[in-house]
This record gives sequence, structure tokens and C-alpha cells, in this order.
Amino acid sequence: MSGASRYRTLGWFVIGLFVVLCLRLFHIQIIDHTYRDAAENNVLRYEVQHPPRGEIYDRNGEFLAQSVPSYDLMVVPKNLPREGFDTVALARIAGISTEALAKSITAAKSYSRSRPSIVVKQMTTEAKLLFDEGNFDGFYTLFRTQRSYPRKIAGNLLGYIGQVNDNIIQKNPYYERGDYIGYSGIESAYEELLRGEKGEKVSVVDVRGVVKGPYQGGYYDKSPIAGTAITTTIDGPLQQFAEELMRGKVGSIIALEPSTGEILVMVSSPTYDPDELMGRDRGSNYVKMLNNPRQPLFNRAVMSSYPPGSTFKLVNALIGLQEGVLKPGYRYECHQGYKVGKGVKCHDHPSPLNLRQAVSNSCNGYFCYVFRNIMDNPDYGGIMNGGYDNWERYVRSFGFGGKLGSDFASERGGFVPTSDFYDKGYPRWNSLTVISMAIGQGELGCSPLQMANLAAIIANRGYYYIPHVVKHIDGRDSLDSRFYEKHYAMIDREHYEPIIDGMWGTVHREIGTAGVAYVKGLDICGKTGTAQNPHGKDHSTFLAFAPKDNPQIAISVYVENGGFGASVAAPIASLLMEQYINGEVTRPELVEYIKNMKIAYPNYEKRK
Amino acid sequence: MRSANDKLGWSKIDWKTILVFVVLMLLGWMNIYAASSGEGESFTLSSRYGMQMIWMGISMVVAGVILLVDDIYYHQFAYPFYLLMLLVLVATLFIGKEVNGAKSWLALGPVAIQPAEFMKLATALALARFMSEYHFSLGRPKDIVGVGALLLIPIGVILAQNDMGSALVYCSFLIVLYREGLNSWIYYAIFLVVGLFVGSFILSDVALLIALLVVFVVVQMVGNRNPKESAIYTAGVGALSLAIYGGGLLAGWALTYYTALLIASAVMLLVALAYAYRNKLANIYLFAAMFVGSLLFIGAIDYVFNDVLQLHQQKRILDLFGLESDLKGWGYNVNQSKIAIGSGGFFGKGFLQGTQTQYDFIPEQSTDFIFCTVGEEWGFVGSLVVLILFATLIIRLMKMGERQNEPFRRVYCYGVAGIFLFHVFINIGMTIGLMPVIGIPLPMFSYGGSSLLAFTVLFFIAVRLDSQNSTIGTTYKPY
Repeated sequence: MSGASRYRTLGWFVIGLFVVLCLRLFHIQIIDHTYRDAAENNVLRYEVQHPPRGEIYDRNGEFLAQSVPSYDLMVVPKNLPREGFDTVALARIAGISTEALAKSITAAKSYSRSRPSIVVKQMTTEAKLLFDEGNFDGFYTLFRTQRSYPRKIAGNLLGYIGQVNDNIIQKNPYYERGDYIGYSGIESAYEELLRGEKGEKVSVVDVRGVVKGPYQGGYYDKSPIAGTAITTTIDGPLQQFAEELMRGKVGSIIALEPSTGEILVMVSSPTYDPDELMGRDRGSNYVKMLNNPRQPLFNRAVMSSYPPGSTFKLVNALIGLQEGVLKPGYRYECHQGYKVGKGVKCHDHPSPLNLRQAVSNSCNGYFCYVFRNIMDNPDYGGIMNGGYDNWERYVRSFGFGGKLGSDFASERGGFVPTSDFYDKGYPRWNSLTVISMAIGQGELGCSPLQMANLAAIIANRGYYYIPHVVKHIDGRDSLDSRFYEKHYAMIDREHYEPIIDGMWGTVHREIGTAGVAYVKGLDICGKTGTAQNPHGKDHSTFLAFAPKDNPQIAISVYVENGGFGASVAAPIASLLMEQYINGEVTRPELVEYIKNMKIAYPNYEKRK
Repeated sequence: MRSANDKLGWSKIDWKTILVFVVLMLLGWMNIYAASSGEGESFTLSSRYGMQMIWMGISMVVAGVILLVDDIYYHQFAYPFYLLMLLVLVATLFIGKEVNGAKSWLALGPVAIQPAEFMKLATALALARFMSEYHFSLGRPKDIVGVGALLLIPIGVILAQNDMGSALVYCSFLIVLYREGLNSWIYYAIFLVVGLFVGSFILSDVALLIALLVVFVVVQMVGNRNPKESAIYTAGVGALSLAIYGGGLLAGWALTYYTALLIASAVMLLVALAYAYRNKLANIYLFAAMFVGSLLFIGAIDYVFNDVLQLHQQKRILDLFGLESDLKGWGYNVNQSKIAIGSGGFFGKGFLQGTQTQYDFIPEQSTDFIFCTVGEEWGFVGSLVVLILFATLIIRLMKMGERQNEPFRRVYCYGVAGIFLFHVFINIGMTIGLMPVIGIPLPMFSYGGSSLLAFTVLFFIAVRLDSQNSTIGTTYKPY
């Protein structure tokens, strides 16, 4: 071959090699897009921006729950320096042991080498500043907020927050591993408002994971939207006072503003300091509470179902008046009880009594007559043919036997039996079969919220607003419309007067059962209850409102195993109403007496 | 013949080729700037781009000097320079500085140079001189041994320095040897060996065997012009292999199709040999021998790979063929490099806008992997421009060689063209995953004074020789 022809061959060879390079470049630069994605993965870091959770205020604008800054320590394992780093210094800053630090880094590596994992949760601002000085490659801090509860009250009412579990993540795409969610109380009921909206920051990082600045000038960033602040209807000081009075006792207090249905106080005792369910000790505290036989995490105020006891006589009396089978002037004899059938016992008292006196004195016999007259009303053809169903309709119109629709997701509705219930239990039954419901015993079950609502209905002379705990949501003019609707019990207004007069007598007349609740000038109207308890000592309950005209507060106090209504529940209710209306209590010795009262709960201790 | 007003002999300088060279050098500097400047830093000479600027200045001064030196000296000093550089190279073995495992650097006061870069130049000159001797012929064993010695001695010393990349560059002299008439069969054999090596890794056994059969039958057919017989042979192998495979299935033998095909081609080969013997077709024996040799070679590759090579060497080879990826080890560089270039897209991200470049994702970016910056920031368009400029430079150097009247000048120009070609193809091929990772610089682009200076000298000597080439028809004999 000649030189010229070899020159041509070589020329084509050179061109061929360059064409190969061009084709390969064409392939990886234009056809194959995986490299482009990989380049973005290399340099882009997506960081979630957590908004501060909405604050919760009491009705006077004081903090019930605050958000304070806290920092999570994050690690991206692939950015850790190969030669290792000062684990001792980092563990000291983060406030954990070096072993714990090593363990969480191992866990992070097994989760993902390139995605961030949490190493230490909820570091303080001081720890964060120390960390920033330390210059630890591969680690960074993530701003979050943490709950703090300045008054340390209303644990069950506010509820607690915790990290989402896998179940929640699956159901709701908003949540990611490590996010917090409200699990109970207000935190849960208003979760979507309180949590705000997460933002995202897209930054460019270099090969060592050092942030070089925002991606595309921050075009793809999304600012977090802070959680909405919520003002509750709770009266902080009053709530605190109520919790102090309930200390050592098991039970519940609900106080409402009758004219609005706003919940002023909601105590479920025993309660807990909500701060205990925050921060690092949350896990162990939570288990401790779960294992406490008195169940501090159980919100008795809306979840328990108690026999209402004598306070339920008010309902039966109102139904009798409305049905015309009872007149305020009717008198019935009672000597130590109602003697028909198995009979119902009663205490010593003058006899016969009229309606007002029977309410004040809580005569069992009197209300057995009233109850049987309602049930056996010939207008309905007997108890099994409609007499009972008619009564049941009335009872349900007071909000018993079903959820009231408050803003507590965990609210339960208690129990009002239907006639079917008895049809199934008894081949034949009559008004004597169900006579214990005349005095609020038997199958009836009510939540403290329902009982307080009854007090509000009577205070309002006939209607209620659904009890609720939220007064104002930032940026909104109004609450859910259901909280503005009047719900009427099926009783005409004029029938309330004799009942209210009887309740006034409970506190103010010699015949009354709760003289202990008297406060000069307050015109407290109340009704005691001593609910029989098959498992132990009677429950003490008191239902009241004040003042008699233009009532400002309606209250229900329920103290398990407290004995007579007058012995514990009535003084507590009285003190709270006095404090609320007058702004002070004038009976320090009574406060001391209640605070120091010891009640034994053998059946709770047994459960262990 | 120099005219009176052209004492320097500059009137015939190939300015166009110099322009290509200078443009490439300036583009190279821009990319070094992009790869090595930090954000918000003010311009400083102590940075890599600053140093490179100084080296560019030095190179241009040296280029000017080269253009002033009469071409006769390059011929005269070719051997002494070769010997001197060889001495320096050997000295480096003992007093050199070790960088990245290779003892190939020599400290000269404040600067360090890599003697291997200049050894290429010395070799190109010495080779040009040797091959332009009177009566030199690549057909003569004595001369071939001489050429081999000129090339293998520096290769040996450089390998002793553990600088694999610089040693491999001597492969580029295969280009000039081809131009000067080295037997084509040597090149066919090289292509066959390389093809078999690559094929044995990226193809399955059956596919490789079929490919071999097709290649040999087709080449044989073109050479002997016997399409009918070739078709019969091919059909015979196909039918026989299917028959053996099918029969094996029916008889329940554990027979793969590969085995069946191997048996079939062996049987048919015997038939073909018998046919060749009867018809006295000697070169069929040659093809048959090469075919059998290829099969044995493949077996040898398998044996060497599995039983001789160590695990890390195996991995490196597998990675090269894309069969396995070790992204934590050395495969990391190539992967990051492909990511950077691939993410450049059509128009690139713009000067100083490459995220991978600016945030240091590619190790060795301003040296061996400088092409990543081109690919990422200037995209396919920019890469194409650079490739076209390089191709132009290399083709023009070859053309330059062709127009020389003296073999010395021609051999030298081709030597330079070969060195450029090897560097450009291997370096860019490496950054896009076509070639193994061999640490050799991209001419005029990679950061480094020795390399820039060496390429400048290589190139400008070629230009100088060309400018003093006698016009066609005259017999200007300076030597």
C-alpha cells in the first residue's frame, strides 16, 4: 500500500474515533436522562421546614400551650467524614451517651446512606449553638417547635402530641416519619389548624454536604405556614383551682357558661402535667400513666358513663310536668321509702312533701310516684305500648343517650335503654321493673358533660348550646355553625320555675340537702346526687347553676366514692361558682378541708 | 529557498493550525478557571487557573523561541536529546517525587516537572531521525528492532516508575509506524486481539462464537470470492448445530447450544479443510488457523481472568465493560464524571453554572477529568466544538506530515498527530465511560505545566519543521 492510501485510511480512522466519541456524548447528554436526575440528586437537598404549632390560649388570653424552639439533630451518612469524627464531643453537646449516638448513626446508615435521619430529638437552642460551633460534617440541625405548658394544667383537655405512627402515615399523605400529631383533647380535635403547613427548602450542597445556597434563587422553596392559634373557652385560673380541689380524688368537673355552651372548666381527675408527655422522658412517663390503675389518660369528663343518681330526678319531674301527670302542688307520702314492689328506700324527712320540697329534699318516694305516672300514663296505653318510648324521647331531648357533638373526638354518649332492651330482657315488664331510673339509677349512664349540660338546660329554662371548648380561631369570624344552634328539650319554659325553686331550696331552705353550698348573694340552685355504686362507696355528685336569675355558670361535679352529694361534690361546686362569679373564695377552711380530704379507692387499687 | 525579506522563514508558517491550537488552549484555560475558582474569590495567581496562566505565558515564549531555531538543530540534536531525557527519566526513578503512587515527578526548585512528558517529544524526534536514515525500511528486521528499542526503552523506565498511563501513550507511535508501512497484518492482529478481549467480556459464549464465525466467513469470502461455498459452510454449521442440539434434547443429554455449535463448526471446519486440500486453496488454512487460534485465545482470557488476576483487577475490568460497578472505589470518579457530562444536556448549564463542577463532585477535575467541565457547562454543543477542534488539529498535523519532502519531517508530524490522538481519545473516552481510567492529560485542557509545555513544544517543532519545508520540486537538503 502506498503512503497516500495509508494517509486516507488513517484519516478515516481518526474521524471514526471522533464519531464514536460524539455518538457516546450524544447518548449520555441528550438521550439518557438518568445522568441529569443523578446530578440533581447529587446537589439538591430537600429540607422540610416545620412550622411552629399553633398556640392555645385560655378565655382570658393566657397561654395554656406554647410553642418553644427546639432542634432535631439530623445526619446524612454518606456525608460523614471517612476518617471519623469526635463522637465524644458531639454526644456531650447533644446530651446523650456516645453509645446511644453510635447506635442511632448505625440505624441511620441502615435506613439510607443519602437520606437524612434523626439522630437526637428536641435539642435545646443552647445545644444547637454549641453544635454550630463544632462544625460536624454530615450533621445538621432541623428547626422544629416543642410544646410547653406554662400552667401545667388541663392535661386531658389539651391532650398530647406525639410522633405519627406508620398507620397514620399510610392514611394521610401529609405526614412523614418524625412528624408530630395531636393524639387527644384539643390537640387532636383541632390538629389541622394547630399543625399549620409544612414548608420545603431546596438547597444546593457541595460534595461534602455543605450548603452553598438556595436552588434557583429559592424558586422552589415553600415557606412553612405557622399553625393557627386557638383561644379556648377555658378559664385558666378556675381550671387550676378546680384541679387543686380534685387532687387525690377520682372524678370529673365540668362547668359551662349556659348562655353560650362554652366550657369554662373541664377536669378529669386524676390529671397529669402535660409537660410530662413532652420531651425526652415522654416515653417512660407515658407508659407509667398507661399502667396507673386510676387511668390519668382516660378523659372521664367526656368518656365515662356514670349513673346520674338523684340529679336525674330533675328530668323526671320536668317530663311529669310537661305530660300533665304532675303538678307542683301534688303531695306524696313517703316514710323511709317507696313501698310498692321491691320498694325504693328513702331517708328521714317530713312527709308528705310537694314538688318543690321533694326536689330540695331529694325524696326518693316522691319521684317513684312521678315516674310511674309517666310510664303508666293511660294516654299511651301502658308502658310497653308507648309510655316508655315517650319518656325515652323526652330524656334524649336533654342530650342523654348519645353524643352531644362537642369538639372532643373521644366524646362518648352514655346509655339510655330503649324499650327493646327490656323486651329482650323480660317477657313481661312494667313500671316497677324500671323503677330505679326514677332516681337516676339502674341502666342509665351519663357522662359528666351531659350532666353539666342538664344544668345548663335548666339554667336556660329549656335549651342548650352544644358544649364546646373553642372560643375563637385566629383569622376566622366564627366557629362551626353547630355551636350557635339552640337545642330545645321537649319541655315548656313555665315548667322550669317550680324545679328551679326546688333547686334553690336545696341550698337555701332548711329542708334542702346542700346547705353547705350556700354562698351569700349568689343564689345558687343545685341538686345533690348520691349515686349507688355496686362496686363500693356511693358516688358523690352535685349539679348546680348560679345565680338563679341570669345564670353565669352551670356545673356538674362527680366524685367517685365520695359518699353523699353534699359531702364532697356540693362544696366543690359551690367554691368554684363563688370563685368564678365573685373572683374570690371566702371560705378558706372549706378549701383546706376539701383539699385535705382523703378518699379510698379500693376497687382501683385492686385492679392492679 | 528563503526570500531575502524572510530571514526567519516565517512566511510559510501554518498560522491556521496555530490558531486551532491557541483556541483550544484558551478554551482549556476557561475550563480550568471554572473547575478551580471558588465562589466569591478574587483573581489570584497562586490558584490553579493563575498558575496555568503563567504556564501559558511560558509556553508561548518557548513557542516563539522554537520558531526562531533553525530546523537543522532538531535533526542534529534528536539523539543527544533522547539520551539526555532518558538519563533524566532514569534519574527520576531514584530522586523523583511520588505522586499518586507513581514516582514520576522531578522537583526543580519551586516547580515540579514530569520528565515522561518530555520523553515523548524526545522519542518522537529520535524516531523521526532513525526512520529517515538512508535505506531505512520497516521491511528489514534490523530496522524494526531499532524502532522497537527506541520505543521500548523509555516504556520500560516509565513502567518502572509505575506510571501506566504515560507508558501506554507510546502505543500512539503505532500510527506513525502504520503510515511508514508497517505490515497491515500486525494491525489486523491487534484489532482481533482487542476485539476478542472486549467480546469475551461483553458477549455471551454463543454470541461470541457466532460473531467469530460470521467475521471469519465474511472476511474469507471477500478475500477468496467464494460466496457459494461460504453460504454452504454457514448453512451447514447452522443445520448441524441445530440437529445436534435437537438430538441432544431428545436423547436427554445435558448439551448446551454452545457445545452443539462448537461441535458443528469443528466438524464443518474439517469438511472445509478437506475441500481446501482437494482444491489447493492454501489461504483457507490460514483462516482456519486464526479461527482456532481465536477460540484458544478466548479460553486463555477466561483462564487468566479467573485464575491469574486478583480480585481487584477483575473488578476493574468488569467495571470497564459496565458489567459491575464499584461506585465507592475508582468507579466513583467515572460515575461522577458521566453524571456531570450527562447533565449538561444540549446547550449545557453555562459558564460557571455547572453544579457538579462548582461543588467539587468530580475528583481530579482540573487535571484528568477536565472534560467534565466542558460537558456540563457547555453541553453537547460545546463538547462537539471541542471535539471538532481537536479532530481538525490532528488531521491538519497529518496533512502537514504528508506535504513534507523529507521523511524526518513527515515522521515527526505523524508522531505528534498520534500522540495528540491517543491523549484526546483515551482521556475523553475515559470521562464518558468508553475507555478505562488511565491517568493521562487532555492536551491544552488539563491543568499542569509540564504537560502544557510538552504539548506546546511538540506542536511548535512540527510547525517549525513545516515552515522550513522546501517547496515542491526543489531538493533542499539541510542535513
